[in-house]
Amino acid sequence: MDHSWLLFTLVICGVTIQSCTAVDRGNFKTCDQNAFCKRQRATQLGNSPWEILLDSLNSTINSLQVQVISSRSQARLQLQLIALADSTLHLQLDEINPIKLRYRAQESLSGSPQLSSLKILEQSSDSISLSFGGTGKAILLVKPFRLDVYDGDQLVISVNARGLLNFEHQRVRKSNEAAATEANPSDPVEGLEQEEGEVKNPEEKPQEEEEPGLWEETFKSHVDSKPYGPTSVGVDISFPGSRHVYGIPEHADTFALKQTKNGDPYRLYNTDVFEYELYNPMALYGAVPFMIAKRQQGAVGVFWNNAAETYVDIEESSSGSVVSSLMNLVSGGGNEPHQQTHWFSESGIIDLYIMTGPTPKDVVRQYGSLTGTTPLPQRFALGYHQCRWNYNDQEDVHNVDKGFDLHDIPYDVLWLDIEHTDGKKYFTWDPIKFPDPLEMAQNLTAKGRKLVTIVDPHMKRDSSFFFHEHCEQNDFYVKDKDGKIYEGWCWPGSASYPDFFNPAVRDYWASRFALDKYEGTSLDVYTWNDMNEPSVFNGPEVTMPKDCLHYGGYEHRDVHNMYGMMVVEGTIRGQLMRSDYKLRPFVLSRSFFAGSQRFGAVWTGDNIADWEHLAIAVPMLLSLSVSGIPFCGADVGGFFNNPNSELLTRWYQAGAFQPFFRGHAHLHTKRREPWLFDEQTNKLIKSSIKKRYTYLPLWYTLFYEHEKTATPPMRPLWMEYPQDVETFSMDNQFLLGDSILVHPVVRSGETEVSVYFPGDNTLWYEIETYKVYQGSGYQTIPVAINKIPVFQRGGTIVPKKERARRASSLMAKDPYTLIVTLDKQGKAQGRLYVDDGQSLDYQKGSYLILELSMENHVLSSKISNQGAFETPELIEKIVIAGLNRSPSSIEDNTGRAVEYRYDTTSQVLVLRKPNLSVSKEWDVSLKM
Amino acid sequence: MFHKEFRAIIFQNVLILCASAVLWKQTTVAATQVTRPRGVSLARASLYSPDADFTCLDGSATFPFRYVNDDYCDCQDGSDEPGTSACPNGSFYCRNLGHEAMIVPSSRVNDGICDCCDAADEYQSGANCVNTCKELGSAAQEEAQRRYELESQGYAIKLEYINKGRQAKLSQQERNMALKAEQVEAEALRAEKEREKHEAEEPERQALDKYRQIEQEAVKEKEEIERSKQETEASKAFDWLDSNQDGKLQVEELQTHVAFDQNQDGTVTVEEAKFFLHNEEEMEKSDFIATGWPLIKPFVMKAQGLENPSQPDQQTGEIPLPDDHQQDESMPETEGEEEEDEEHEEEAEPVKPSPVTPNSVEYDAETQELIEVANKARNSYDEADRRLRDLEREIRQLEESNSKDYGPNEEYQPMDGQCYEYSDREYTYKLCPFDNGSQRPKHGGSETRLGSWDSWDGPAENKYGAMKYDKGVQCWNGPQRSLKVHLSCGMENQLLSVSEPNRCEYEMKFTTPAACGEPKKPDDGDSEIHDEL
Repeated sequence: MDHSWLLFTLVICGVTIQSCTAVDRGNFKTCDQNAFCKRQRATQLGNSPWEILLDSLNSTINSLQVQVISSRSQARLQLQLIALADSTLHLQLDEINPIKLRYRAQESLSGSPQLSSLKILEQSSDSISLSFGGTGKAILLVKPFRLDVYDGDQLVISVNARGLLNFEHQRVRKSNEAAATEANPSDPVEGLEQEEGEVKNPEEKPQEEEEPGLWEETFKSHVDSKPYGPTSVGVDISFPGSRHVYGIPEHADTFALKQTKNGDPYRLYNTDVFEYELYNPMALYGAVPFMIAKRQQGAVGVFWNNAAETYVDIEESSSGSVVSSLMNLVSGGGNEPHQQTHWFSESGIIDLYIMTGPTPKDVVRQYGSLTGTTPLPQRFALGYHQCRWNYNDQEDVHNVDKGFDLHDIPYDVLWLDIEHTDGKKYFTWDPIKFPDPLEMAQNLTAKGRKLVTIVDPHMKRDSSFFFHEHCEQNDFYVKDKDGKIYEGWCWPGSASYPDFFNPAVRDYWASRFALDKYEGTSLDVYTWNDMNEPSVFNGPEVTMPKDCLHYGGYEHRDVHNMYGMMVVEGTIRGQLMRSDYKLRPFVLSRSFFAGSQRFGAVWTGDNIADWEHLAIAVPMLLSLSVSGIPFCGADVGGFFNNPNSELLTRWYQAGAFQPFFRGHAHLHTKRREPWLFDEQTNKLIKSSIKKRYTYLPLWYTLFYEHEKTATPPMRPLWMEYPQDVETFSMDNQFLLGDSILVHPVVRSGETEVSVYFPGDNTLWYEIETYKVYQGSGYQTIPVAINKIPVFQRGGTIVPKKERARRASSLMAKDPYTLIVTLDKQGKAQGRLYVDDGQSLDYQKGSYLILELSMENHVLSSKISNQGAFETPELIEKIVIAGLNRSPSSIEDNTGRAVEYRYDTTSQVLVLRKPNLSVSKEWDVSLKM
Repeated sequence: MFHKEFRAIIFQNVLILCASAVLWKQTTVAATQVTRPRGVSLARASLYSPDADFTCLDGSATFPFRYVNDDYCDCQDGSDEPGTSACPNGSFYCRNLGHEAMIVPSSRVNDGICDCCDAADEYQSGANCVNTCKELGSAAQEEAQRRYELESQGYAIKLEYINKGRQAKLSQQERNMALKAEQVEAEALRAEKEREKHEAEEPERQALDKYRQIEQEAVKEKEEIERSKQETEASKAFDWLDSNQDGKLQVEELQTHVAFDQNQDGTVTVEEAKFFLHNEEEMEKSDFIATGWPLIKPFVMKAQGLENPSQPDQQTGEIPLPDDHQQDESMPETEGEEEEDEEHEEEAEPVKPSPVTPNSVEYDAETQELIEVANKARNSYDEADRRLRDLEREIRQLEESNSKDYGPNEEYQPMDGQCYEYSDREYTYKLCPFDNGSQRPKHGGSETRLGSWDSWDGPAENKYGAMKYDKGVQCWNGPQRSLKVHLSCGMENQLLSVSEPNRCEYEMKFTTPAACGEPKKPDDGDSEIHDEL
């Protein structure tokens, strides 16, 4: 019976990774083992040969075009600068007349960015001054080429200030003999020259020793044929004034990114890393080449829109260096150290979006308007998800479901991993273990719950498998370098990979989710796309060879980091189609790219049941959140190994306050449904999950706000306190919205933690006792096993539903409780978003937004779109904390008296059954 | 004023933990009809008096009765809202007339899902719940009847089991006593024989001392002869095997002899041949004599018996039969043989002490006589010793079996020594109660031990409800396999199902009459029906 287990273990341990205890670094390239990384990293500082050819300047009302030439090789690039709406500048650099068109990542964008005005203010032989979007200011320097972007008078971003622009031109491969006799000046070899680091006339170039790794590269037993030779692109981006940079997920590292000069750069190359290590720059499952740089007074962002393998080097400038003095000359600013970054990708173009903020929320909005935001999910998706590799059969599913009810623990979704399929053929069911999936799902949905099945993109090569047959017949698979269908090894054994870059393939994929096509599913069955990096057990670095071929003739190297996102795009569309665009889709993906947020949730992959992994979830989820992917979570409990009851308890307590809340475990772990632990652990886990359910109205409102503003629900403290330096490199605390402060307990046996309360004169109320703490500063908070420190900011109103039921859908009509925590002025504000919780009608206006505020002892609800949505929901209770005396009476706007209680000790007032309608505006006055 | 009354009670409940067992069944017996708030059981009805203020059942607060079931939670124990969903930690009682009464968490009240069969929990949600108590009640009654019949019949068999078990225990005890008595006798006998042996061996030793010197010389001489014989033999064998007469043995030369087909697949592979050449391509004669021949000889010997007499082996003719010792050491052992050896060893008679090498020296008649007397004494001693050890072994086995817990009334004893099988798609599982559990792939492959009998492992209130078998075969890169067997009442001993809920932790469901309880006649319906009709 453990036969299949053995197979998996052999696959995991034997093929993908040899060690079963930690990541086998040997399976993944270091920069030194990666020819383009080595070449780009060796680019010499200063002395950039690139100059702007002013003669070639063209401009429109939105853009300017100009050529850039290398004084060494005479190679030319086309530079385009486009002004976009919302203080964003778009810089593109591509080679002129390339041998083969370079790939431009378009799917990352949510549409065509809105243009803005670009004006040339001043032009000299040295520089071109321009304004963009009205207030933005930038200067293009001619020799060497450099782009400086300003916030007011302060220089905030400088591109190529360090002269690291290195654009490897496509070239024809010369045989060694040919190279000896021909030195063709019309075939410049920019990259090579740069590496030699000296200015040379190409004609004088001696016989060129072909450097290894240009036309072929070998890693372990894998040969990358590189038919187009070296094509990498790179440039440096400096952030004057910024001491901290964030983003570029996914890495298991601190939130504030580290210096990389003494090791490898941060790598972005989607890979299935077995038992990943913490605190290093190795690539993981997803890649978002977006970075926020934070100054004390502001923030800027850059988006490097390139889907090929990418590296980012980070180095803090040392004061007095050539470059920083150059910068000071330009900016007139102080000589303070700042972050300098160096970005390079293996192929594609330089496609750089510069977002000028000036606040962190402005930057995420600007990035969101380019790549999109996460559409409001269905309410159930914000509940608790119960997953395991694997629930063995229908009876197992039934028993787990029953267990949750028996122990009165809410959950919304039961998940089925790969073992539910018939021989790892996705879209099918194991006929013995799951003979009647519809009935099984029906048993869950009858209680308002949902089912998720896994659908991975590797397709079993089995002629009896319809999907495989269709792909073969329609030529839907990714090809190898010779144009034959690529075969890799994954869960089913030999497998091929649909080419999701082909729109017809995505259409076909989407069509397979139709209820009459995907047998055994209903509208209550949603999807999990795993292994979509793509994971290939026998491939180089456990993924697809870079010389595989995709739709449009592009190489896998050009599109790799986007493959996973394209899979999910197809799935989302399939779900939309099957409900005739009525229900909101839900898909969880392991791999992602910039723009993936438009397609749903992601998680941090195969983590480990240890305290360090619990701790790293905060910086990893914050990195995702500020990089546009807010619907994210880490496997609660840890995927590999067995958590003890303390760790599991702490993980649930933390996970309940993180966006995507799912318990998951590896096939080889012990079962860990809460009731299998001791009574106390079971109770505490139940209590954490129930707490999550009581806060669902807040989560739901925050996700709606995210869709509109791009601000993530889970936030770093500096997003709300952008000038508080203390918060700039904080990995152990986060905010939900602007109201809830969370400090997870991530160490065993912890009895107290030091909590940082941000905001001068800001009050923070412990969410259960309403005990008040004042910011800013650290305070020691004792912690028992029963909860983690969570506080609500004074000045906020948080909507809750305190009747946690079996599943979130069953709470739809339940009344709300409003928690009003007053600031020092006795004021508070909040918002409640309400709709039907599942349909897309909200996009047509069928929702309500209640603007709640308390001022001068009057609490009111204002609805700008009253009548747009009807609901029977009421407000059953209002808690007002921070009121220093009892009112003499309370009445609502109809003059009806409201019962209340006041506790002098805690200074908390509770309004009993005000029964105010959610659908209508109202106010409640406290007569003092 | 109302709000003053509440001052004391608010916000003491900082963390409300819900009752752990939230769903349980309750049968209430009550005598009189009492009006009571929704969701209150008869037993608690008196605590909810509309004529007085209500005090939370935990005593935490008192307030007007109109706050009971007014859909707002006032008590931290949830007791003011027995009939609504207002309290997160409350509970709701449904009467379920015609079936069993039930208590559900308050969160199930008006959530749109029918939990109580009398639909009492969904009085306001708009859920279309129909009263199914009658159907459920009669189904439950039928089930209870079926169960009763099963228990009755099963219990009858169980009584037989108990009988058998007790008898077995009794006869074991009797046998044990008899054996113990025999043991005493046998010990005495052995002691006597031991003494006689010593008495006979002493004069023998004295007589043999003088022959010692002669013997040692004879042994030396014999060894020398033996060595040269071996060398000659090896040399001959080499010449014969070295078919191309180049003074070296090559792989190809060995491959022509089927005797070297170690795995007996019909061909002598290069690897098989090279095994004899110490993994080299060829071997010199001197090496062959020193190290090659001892390796090869057993195979030649073995083949001699198998190959037909016209084979060259036979023609060389002079190769002597190897002695047993040599063969044992050199023959590759298969697993099966190993097991046989073990068994053999266990039953093997003790090696007879042989004071002298037989036939090497001629003893005088007197000495010869002494030796014979001593030999006889030794044989007698051996016999007595063997008998005692046989007895001891039997007693040990009996005691081991006796120490097994066959249940409070020995009812599980008849299962000991039996085995039961169950097959699923891939495996056939076997449970031999009180011994072990195992699995065997259906399409060939060896049996894997899932665990050996350890102990009864049921919950505290039903210790004999489950058995634990542990220390099974180690999982690859994982724990040792273990097995838990859940027992339930059934007409026969039968393995019903096998699952592996955790990796390498197996569970079996097993029915047996031994697990049947004393049958209780089911109630003919819900007692409360009569109470309240």
